[in-house]
Amino acid sequence: MRAKDIMEPIKGYLSPENTLKEAVNKMRVTLREEKKIGVKGLVVLDKDQTLIGIISIIDILKAIIPHYMSFTELSDFTWDGMLEEMAKKVADKKIKEIMTKEVISVYEDAPLMECAILMVKHNLQRIPVINKDRKVLGMIYIRDLYYAIVKALFDEKEVDNNGS
Amino acid sequence: MAHEATTATSPFVMDTTFWTATIIFIASYVAIVSERVHKTIIAIVGATLMLVLKVLEQHEAFYVEEFGVDWNVIFLLIGMMVIINILKTTGFFEYVAIKSAKIGRGEPLRIMMVLFVVTAILSALLDNVTTVLLIVPITFLIADALEVDPVPFLIIQVLASNIGGTATLIGDPPNIMIASKARLNFIDFIYHLTPVVVVLMLVMLLVIKLVFGRKLKTKEELKERIMQMNEREAIKDPVMLKKSLFVLGIVLCGFVFHGMLNYKPATIALFGAGLLLLLSKTQSPHHYLAEIEWPTIFFFIGLFILVGGIVKVGLIKWLSIQMLDLTGGNLFATSMLIMWFSAFASAIVDNIPYVATMNPLVIDMAKQLWPDKTGLDLLQHPDLMPVWWSLALGACLGGNGSPIGASANVIVVGLAEKAGRKITFLRFLMYGVPVTILTIFISMIYVWLRYYVL
Repeated sequence: MRAKDIMEPIKGYLSPENTLKEAVNKMRVTLREEKKIGVKGLVVLDKDQTLIGIISIIDILKAIIPHYMSFTELSDFTWDGMLEEMAKKVADKKIKEIMTKEVISVYEDAPLMECAILMVKHNLQRIPVINKDRKVLGMIYIRDLYYAIVKALFDEKEVDNNGS
Repeated sequence: MAHEATTATSPFVMDTTFWTATIIFIASYVAIVSERVHKTIIAIVGATLMLVLKVLEQHEAFYVEEFGVDWNVIFLLIGMMVIINILKTTGFFEYVAIKSAKIGRGEPLRIMMVLFVVTAILSALLDNVTTVLLIVPITFLIADALEVDPVPFLIIQVLASNIGGTATLIGDPPNIMIASKARLNFIDFIYHLTPVVVVLMLVMLLVIKLVFGRKLKTKEELKERIMQMNEREAIKDPVMLKKSLFVLGIVLCGFVFHGMLNYKPATIALFGAGLLLLLSKTQSPHHYLAEIEWPTIFFFIGLFILVGGIVKVGLIKWLSIQMLDLTGGNLFATSMLIMWFSAFASAIVDNIPYVATMNPLVIDMAKQLWPDKTGLDLLQHPDLMPVWWSLALGACLGGNGSPIGASANVIVVGLAEKAGRKITFLRFLMYGVPVTILTIFISMIYVWLRYYVL
């Protein structure tokens, strides 16, 4: 199987000009699979629908943690309510400032092993599937790869059982 | 008359070598100020051009005190950098900053004043850049906790680091260079500069209180956030902290007695660095040594050679004669001129190249005034001492004059921008210029009273 065989269609996307607050709202209302609502990541597309970035929960956390925290080790000196306060402070930040710009993506005919290697290597939950024009065709989630593994193992077992 | 003697000296020969050296020097200075290429690269290229174009022999650049690299400055800087690099991994600076905020009882004005004093003291004993680099992040945190604007706190800390650094031999690079060239020791600086710095700090505290007293307010419940922080959690390596402070104590004692024991400061600093590396039980010193600010070190090396070139061809001597002409050989007028000019120059250009150039100029001036004196009798002629102190005060305090006046300023403005709180050039000037004028004015009165009246 290849990427295009297991990818799921994308149900929503963000524009680089969206704010962090709009992005959070979009993630909250976007459909996941058939019925469930709420996703943990969205692609960012420019005007001609080309993939230019991706947003996940970790990007939102990174945007909310004040930059000076990275200068030295200060996590012991935070306070109750700080996360919420900082979230309100950065609510109007543009998506283009906080998105991950170097998007790890695969072409539609990529083997599943390539997807698995990329997910593990870059600690990803999802990989956009694109065509040669960087147009997004769908998304592969880590669970899709897992389902593929489940299927492979149990199908083979059945074959084995039948054979013996 | 001293004045007549100076003008009688034939200055120099304007041959090809003279112009080569002058052009390399001026071009390097212009390039450093323009900031198109990193200043260290310019210094290395300029210095090596002095060698390639035969202004200086390599031997002169490396081994002759008058024309070449001042290794005492280089190794003092390296030694202190190693000690500080080890100390900063222990959480010492974070501990001190949080503790200061708690001593300030969560009151913004009081915290600003405590951090002002703490930053000044740390900058006097360690180095300005490391001090602000490690205190600034906590300042942001404290300002966020108290819901106040961090920018005034940041600028006050920059001012504190430059004022505090003025107090000691090791506090600021200009002082290190002046001490080495004039063979002044640690106690000389404590005796001559620390008193005026204490006065400046008291005046600054008063100014802070007057300017921010009414503006800085916070809610009671926000103060609790500060009071609930446990500064002990900042200490990451208590064993190493003890070792670092032990060695730092030895080094500071060494500085106090180095004049008496006849050691150069670099000996003390390098010994401290070696001792601390030994105590750290590290298997590979690679990390601590790699963290030395090599670009700064090479900037110094390059500058010493660049300046050596124009000393050798006589440009500096010519400039010193011009300066004596300007002040009529009056050393009080010369001191005042040097102090104000140094402050102005240090605000615009880096004070390190400035002092590297001024040091030989002052010595050449002394040679014009007292041609029969040599060695310490010349370098520390009683009438010359106020000139050295004026140079130190002007160059160090002038660093406050603009956001690019000293390394600490550049670092803090850069950190603020990264943290999303841009400090504009103008906003810095609104603090920096009045403070520079005030501190130089007080220093001027101090030099006048102490060396010319009393």
